[in-house]
Amino acid sequence: MKLEVGYIPIRDIRFGPESKVDNNVLYVNKRELSALILADEGIASVALDLARPGESVRITPVKDVIEPRVKVSGTGGIFPGWCAKVRTVGEGRTHVLKGAAVVTTGKVVGFQEGIIDMSGEGAQYTPFSKLNSLVLVIQPKEGTESHAYEKSLRLAGLKTAEYLGKLAEHLEPEEVHTYETLSVTEGIKKYPELPRVGYVLMLQSQGLLHDTYVYGVDAKQTLPTLIGPTELMDGAIVSGNCVSACDKNTTYHHLNNPVVEDLFSEHGKALNFTGLIITNENVYLADKERSSDRTAELCAYLGLDGVIISQEGFGNPDADLIMNCRKIEAKGIRTVIITDEYAGQDGASQSLADADAAADAVVTGGNANMVIHLPAMDRVIGSIDRVDHIAGGWSGSLKEDGTITAELQVITGATNELGFNTLSAR
Amino acid sequence: MIITNNPLVRSTYENAHGVLFVEGNYRDVLVQVRDLVHRRHHLITHPMMGSLKPNETPYRSVIVSDDPQKNVDVDSVLIIEEAILVFDRFIKTARSDRGTGSTEKMKEDFREIDLSLLGSALNK
Repeated sequence: MKLEVGYIPIRDIRFGPESKVDNNVLYVNKRELSALILADEGIASVALDLARPGESVRITPVKDVIEPRVKVSGTGGIFPGWCAKVRTVGEGRTHVLKGAAVVTTGKVVGFQEGIIDMSGEGAQYTPFSKLNSLVLVIQPKEGTESHAYEKSLRLAGLKTAEYLGKLAEHLEPEEVHTYETLSVTEGIKKYPELPRVGYVLMLQSQGLLHDTYVYGVDAKQTLPTLIGPTELMDGAIVSGNCVSACDKNTTYHHLNNPVVEDLFSEHGKALNFTGLIITNENVYLADKERSSDRTAELCAYLGLDGVIISQEGFGNPDADLIMNCRKIEAKGIRTVIITDEYAGQDGASQSLADADAAADAVVTGGNANMVIHLPAMDRVIGSIDRVDHIAGGWSGSLKEDGTITAELQVITGATNELGFNTLSAR
Repeated sequence: MIITNNPLVRSTYENAHGVLFVEGNYRDVLVQVRDLVHRRHHLITHPMMGSLKPNETPYRSVIVSDDPQKNVDVDSVLIIEEAILVFDRFIKTARSDRGTGSTEKMKEDFREIDLSLLGSALNK
């Protein structure tokens, strides 16, 4: 399976009479796009707004961030199961509007969370401050229940990313990256001396605001399975997870998974990137047992020497993480886990809710309880009134002058457990 | 059997499943579950379900086996004891007081999330 990913850099975003990409500027026709979004009967209104890197803008509450992409050749389309038919993606050619993003906001529940600051201290903690963003502020029809509203918001984001992505279909990319996955036997023949390394990608899958979808299927209904790493780059995995802003994986993260990126870059040099296994994080203890058993069996079946395991969320996913780690290690396969920490504001407390001696190689995405101070912004897209109530905020977090003192976990993507960010600890 | 302090879980499931309603907070639910686990009930769902931290939501629902089993399940004991330790740590170290200081509208949302998380295990 071989995929070419072509980057069309986007250096600015503006509204205009015609949606197009011209001279690295993304123009968006507000009317046309609004009509597309409002075709969803559950949506009462949509306001489109723009946020650029360096601007004095705060976006909150952020639900998802999505990168515009389009399939130029190869089977299937971007976001299979949602915007395209359920055909296997991950081969052929895909174009990306690099530097652009669609950000969805909307209060699905009263404590809806997640802040992206485009400048100031907060901007340093989120990768999304560096993107030219189209923000969708979506209001549901009165009486829409939370599940339906979440779905409408999710689909609006995906449809918008697809709409913008299509503008790149016939453009010439400035950079083309090629990713190739060999079959298991081809890999062994080609790199007999290199360690065989796999990646276990854990997906949040617990219910309303805690879900992830694979080819349109709710991940909590699945068994762990092998998936081509390039399938992620075409949107095979979509986020419906909105809780725990700092360490949830947005759809943008799934499209640009840094573990996949790094494993590909070392493939054939330091290691043989043998396979990617996706697994879930369910609330049912029997599911945890079953999924971690399956995951370990798949790792052994592939004859792996080492495995990287990344987690999503905190609390009971720590149990899944440790079960995966323990069972894979028990097969004689070494593991490295990627997580983040809730170690208290002073960083002195135990950082995970579960632990095991087998977990002796850990990479952290940072301490989500660390206190940060955010300056006031000239403009807020979305609504700010709930900051006192969101995770990491407290009564008095939002001052009258618009400044915010809160824990790092208020920032979308700040302690991402795929290692997307630069925060860590030694 | 569902142990819960969430009235919405009680009203949704009381006719279909055994519900032990706890008049108390999140920790009181965990303690009730711990006592049952020591009386040989086995844990069915993880007591720290969802990404809402213990200091962020006032509601908690946990499923244990209907009847006492032959033996105490050591894994269940470890998981519930750990959950209580984590709860105490969060209440002590984190300043967020969202769980108990929520508005009525937010409490309604917390009840719904708790119901949905539990439902993801029950409606399989």
